[in-house]
Amino acid sequence: MQLWMKFTMLTSLGILVPLLVSLFLVHNLFISITVGILAALILSGLIFLFLKPLKDLINSAENLGNGNFNQRVDIRSDDDFETVGKSFNLMADKVSHIFQNLEREKDIAIAENSKLNEVLSSIVDGIIALDFNKNILLSNKSAEEITGFTQAEALGQPVDKLIHLYSGDEEILSKTYCQSSFNQSAQLVGKNGRQTKVNLSTSQLNGRVQTNIFCILILHDIAKEEELEKMRLDFVSMASHELRTPLTSIIGYLSVFIDENKGKVAQTELDLLQKSLTSAQELLTLVQNLLNVNKIEREQMSVTAQAIDYLPIISKVLEDLKNQAVQKNVILNFNPPPKLPKVLADPLRISEVITNLVANAINYTNTGGKIDVSLLITPNELITTVSDTGIGIPKEAIPHLFNKFFRVTNTTQQADKGTGLGLYISKSIIEKLGGMIRVESEINKGSQFSFTLPLAERKSVGTINSGTFVGQEITAGALNF
Amino acid sequence: MNPNTPSKKILLVEDEDFIRELYVRQLTKEGFQVKSAVDGQSGLNMLKAEAFDLLLLDIMLPGMNGLQLLREFKTQNPNSPMITILLTNLGQEAVIKEGFELGAQAYLIKASYTPDQVVNEVKNALFGSSQQLPQERNQ
Repeated sequence: MQLWMKFTMLTSLGILVPLLVSLFLVHNLFISITVGILAALILSGLIFLFLKPLKDLINSAENLGNGNFNQRVDIRSDDDFETVGKSFNLMADKVSHIFQNLEREKDIAIAENSKLNEVLSSIVDGIIALDFNKNILLSNKSAEEITGFTQAEALGQPVDKLIHLYSGDEEILSKTYCQSSFNQSAQLVGKNGRQTKVNLSTSQLNGRVQTNIFCILILHDIAKEEELEKMRLDFVSMASHELRTPLTSIIGYLSVFIDENKGKVAQTELDLLQKSLTSAQELLTLVQNLLNVNKIEREQMSVTAQAIDYLPIISKVLEDLKNQAVQKNVILNFNPPPKLPKVLADPLRISEVITNLVANAINYTNTGGKIDVSLLITPNELITTVSDTGIGIPKEAIPHLFNKFFRVTNTTQQADKGTGLGLYISKSIIEKLGGMIRVESEINKGSQFSFTLPLAERKSVGTINSGTFVGQEITAGALNF
Repeated sequence: MNPNTPSKKILLVEDEDFIRELYVRQLTKEGFQVKSAVDGQSGLNMLKAEAFDLLLLDIMLPGMNGLQLLREFKTQNPNSPMITILLTNLGQEAVIKEGFELGAQAYLIKASYTPDQVVNEVKNALFGSSQQLPQERNQ
């Protein structure tokens, strides 16, 4: 039955029943009452028939609204109510589907978020993200430990008010460190004045307005590292000191024995001991290099520049190395100018530099080769050049040559000596003395190392034409070893 | 004994047996009167007991170290003409300055010197420099 027919029926009954009632009231009360009750019953039955599906729909809609997405209606009235019911069920299907999708996306978002949180909290470095107003947007567990502020205390706070970073006495603010590729160690003062030494590096994010992240701070606690580094340095220092004591005895006794037995013992026998002595001295040089590197790293390398006569120093070093050159059948040629002005240098340290350069030259020069040591005076500097006809240094190795522990890897085995510390130490010493060291080399042709030392009394620039920097040979007063 | 070397009295304070014995041997051979001590306290006691012309003093010593010994001695004998040469190890530059402030005249780095070079330094200190070992002296 169609809805409009039901409605028409109800309406006609509503008019007919009172009409009939009023008609019979006059004649017979009993009949009138009977008819009235009957009419009321029929009417209420009809009303029930009409309203039941509507009520179902209302209840179902309420249920659906309360989140019961399985709610469906079952109206089989074969009228418009059934059609509305079907539409309702269709809508419920769609809503349920949309809701399920939303739930799934929410789960994914939660999983992503917890993944991010887990990653962030497992990072040893403190990470703090700032928004465009330089307020704290995010901070991880390590940041809590470093700064002392919990996430709840930190979030939303202006970073410059909460966390103070100092480089020396100067405070570094977010406007300074929120720049691309900022990387510097700093003293961090956090909650209740808590202090930590950190390495602060930042990255600035440009144009990502959605996330509202402007800048990310990475705080690396370096206090622990410094402690470990100190332990390492202490150990190297202690170990080298312990190695040195027995070496001193070995060298001392051997040199006394050799000196006292010249002419008494056959030279071939003495040569055996001479080789032991040379090896012990090499070992001592290694120990000394380790100690020197240790001191450079501790910033305890003492290099004191004073006005000195350079010639006796370099002559003594070359005299000491003469044996080594002779043994390898390499010519060591020294051509000092007749007169040298005083230079500013540390006598002990500069001896180490010359020893290192010349010993390297001997080491990397084949038998029959030649090493020239020359001096050149310029208005302000004295340039010492050590050139050899050795195996040379590959081009790609030259930029790394003065780095600590660097060794040229493709050198032939016969020259495979050393720790890769000598040039590093030499460069530190020369630079501390206000000079510079440089190298020129060609593979299989040879190498030239030059370093400058400031003159004790400098002439005004330009009064004397300075010579070319490298390799100028001065022939006067040649001294051949 | 070297007849050309006036008999000067030297005290060597050095805890390393082998080094001490070697230096005593070489110095005695050169004609010096050498006594030795193995630690700071016995060294100081010997300095109190008799006068020496030169003190060869190791810095790292068990108990009282070389600098403490020197400070103690200089406090008690501010006008002593005794010459002091510090025996140091590689890497002790920082303490050398303190030694000079306490009146030491020179220092030797044990590992870098042969015993003969040590003897030469002693001679230079006592009789004036005639040999060229310029870089070890305090300037």
